[in-house]
Amino acid sequence: MIPSPFLDQCRLQADTRRQFLGWGMGGLGAMFLNSALAAPAKPGASALQIKRDPTTPLAPLPPPFAPKARRVIYLHTGGSPSQLELFDYKPELIKYNGKDCPEALLKGKRFAFITGVPKLMGAMYPFHRSGKSGAWMSDRLPHLEKHVDDLCIINSMRTDQFNHAPAQLLVQTGDPRIGHASLGSWVTYGLGSQNQNLPGYIVMISSSSTTANAGKPLWGSGFLPSVYQGVQCRAAGEPVLYLDNPKGVSRAQRREVLDAVDEINRGTFRQLGNPETVARIAQYEMAYRMQLEASDAMDITREPPQVLARYGAEPGKTSYANNCLVARRLAERGVRFIQLYHWGWDSHGTPVDQGLNVGLVDCCHATDQATAALLTDLKSKGLLEDTLVVWGGEFGRTPMQENRGGQEMKYIGRDHHPAAFSMWLAGAGIKGGMTHGATDDLGYDVVRDPVEVRDLHATMLYLLGFDYRSFSYPYQGLDQKLTGVKPARIVSDLLA
Amino acid sequence: MSDNTRATGYLPAWLYLALVALVTTLGIAIAMALRPAFANSVLEFLHLQATPQAARNSFYAVRVAPLFENHCISCHGERRQKAALRLDSYAFALRGGRHGTVIRAGDIKHSELMERITLPPSDDRAMPPEGKTPLSPDEIKVIRLWIGAGASPSIKVAAIKGAPRLVRDVAIPNFDLAQAMRQRATLAAEVDRLSRRYPGLLSYQSRNSADMELDASSRGAAFGDADLKAFAPVTSRLVRIDLSGTGITDASASLLAAMPALKALRLANTKTGDNLVAALVPLKSLKSLTETGTGATQASLASLRARGVTIYGDGDAK
Repeated sequence: MIPSPFLDQCRLQADTRRQFLGWGMGGLGAMFLNSALAAPAKPGASALQIKRDPTTPLAPLPPPFAPKARRVIYLHTGGSPSQLELFDYKPELIKYNGKDCPEALLKGKRFAFITGVPKLMGAMYPFHRSGKSGAWMSDRLPHLEKHVDDLCIINSMRTDQFNHAPAQLLVQTGDPRIGHASLGSWVTYGLGSQNQNLPGYIVMISSSSTTANAGKPLWGSGFLPSVYQGVQCRAAGEPVLYLDNPKGVSRAQRREVLDAVDEINRGTFRQLGNPETVARIAQYEMAYRMQLEASDAMDITREPPQVLARYGAEPGKTSYANNCLVARRLAERGVRFIQLYHWGWDSHGTPVDQGLNVGLVDCCHATDQATAALLTDLKSKGLLEDTLVVWGGEFGRTPMQENRGGQEMKYIGRDHHPAAFSMWLAGAGIKGGMTHGATDDLGYDVVRDPVEVRDLHATMLYLLGFDYRSFSYPYQGLDQKLTGVKPARIVSDLLA
Repeated sequence: MSDNTRATGYLPAWLYLALVALVTTLGIAIAMALRPAFANSVLEFLHLQATPQAARNSFYAVRVAPLFENHCISCHGERRQKAALRLDSYAFALRGGRHGTVIRAGDIKHSELMERITLPPSDDRAMPPEGKTPLSPDEIKVIRLWIGAGASPSIKVAAIKGAPRLVRDVAIPNFDLAQAMRQRATLAAEVDRLSRRYPGLLSYQSRNSADMELDASSRGAAFGDADLKAFAPVTSRLVRIDLSGTGITDASASLLAAMPALKALRLANTKTGDNLVAALVPLKSLKSLTETGTGATQASLASLRARGVTIYGDGDAK
């Protein structure tokens, strides 16, 4: 063994008396390799056990109390769509369109780009009441509108972050700093996965070129064991890079290589006892099993043409529509947490693709039909009953038109606005056909039923069968929780 | 020197004690007159006045107390009493603090609490202090309406009209782990046998219950009526069954019809039909059925729907 202070430290951090006694010497003998294609769960590690088996970190576990939701599909609209152009109807704001923003709203406030006195700006698109519930929506999401009676629209979301990366981290990990466990990691840590041949937590991004502001920490496992991090899958080509065997390598040869690598890893584990080594062995094995199942799950050419048309999916492309269709296929196969990212909603009005008049329209166009098709499919297959669907960005947009540098801008846009934004939930345990919370007449501040990001997280955990107060992981002397240390609450009004 | 002359420089003991008592009583009386809050606590201490108690279903208990709890009691509660003010019970709230009462029944204008919570957050006297979440306009309205209506401990929720409904926290279900474990024990042998024979299909619904779920969807057509029959010994505890894509047929109707606890059944893409649906009608616990891709017709599903069962599927298309 090469002496290394880092490895020593890993070992010291990893060892607990219980591990030392429990795992003992050589107890890891034939732990993984006896099954080329594992059954959904090994008999010894069945879901009937509560005890966590470190060698099968993704074995399904029942939640602490009866759940409403069994899986989550989270549609993150990165950049943050304008709630004032989509869900939050403000006739008063339209009346004061073009007037100077009142001093009271600016005093002591800090904006990302707005300086001086900006002008108020009403919605750019007409609103109308829709569905049986009569929820207000603009004309930008005509397909989603058909499902409005299944949606619970929250117009009173609040955050305390006004820059993309920290705000995205807050909605995805419960903390604006890098290093905390993401939603999907918490969920797979708490519940394992129903399908042992696919990752429990899959991430898909609409575009191969644009990346998240906050990067991969958005689906990182933070302080949780790294086996619970999100696995990013691609819409075109191999779902996971280098998953397929290289040309001329047979599956049997791959097995031999893996056996050799596992042998070395087991040796390392015996020497150092770091649980991360177990995660690595488990991931090699999962990749081997995924070679068979992932390609099938991600292959949308297996869908009939009318289904592809309904989503607007085109096999071979990298698109939100394709990802939505894959999301449904993954949900059917028991993947626990499916995370989609679609960037481009950051409508400042600086370049043309960030204008409310162009970029927002494009984003709506690229996503609306597929989101609606996903809801239709989930509903007809009975999956919506126990799948929680979440849609939203990381903050809202200002009721004022952005005037970057005090100038009038080429395209029309709004600045970042943490004080109020809209999200919607649908599916498992959610009361459909309702709009929750309200902002003031100008859409500036929440005046009724505010929902903090941590409240949303507490509610999601509740639907999955967890009490956010007790679902924790010890790290750096604190029992870390998704909802953090500030008081959160389960938003009872959203529950069916 | 006689005893009499020696005593002249001193008061008799009884008089001294009486004077001390008089001064103390006067002091207390003045304090009581000046500070009604103090008067109340003295009277309550002497059992001359009953400690006011809020009724359980009163407006105070349901609407006001949770607001104090959320916003105030971290500084004005059992652990800390800034300005000697506590807001963690009706009696304490009405008693007030070091500077007098903060709630004057029926008098919104002179209730200091009202004034403090409506000041802009930047004001030094604003409550909660800057940095803490201020009360929302709805929350302030609730307190204003309550004080305006007499700050009563007993007035009912419905008696105060126009109070905005505030969101309340959800109670996490209570459970009796020991009881669940006893219930599990009765079927443990069967469960063990079944999980050996059908690994991974059977699971407890949650860590605190003996209710079980059966998910055979991963087995595909290989899982047939005979396999489902093997689960007969545990039917009393099955609350959710997923048979999507399995090989079961209407032959399983009688078995499924004998599952009193069944809440959700998924039959998508199976060769089941109206006979099975008809058998489900008497199941009182059943809440949802998924029948996409089965032979069930709209007519047979109607009877389930009429019973309040949610149907997911394409029955409409057939």
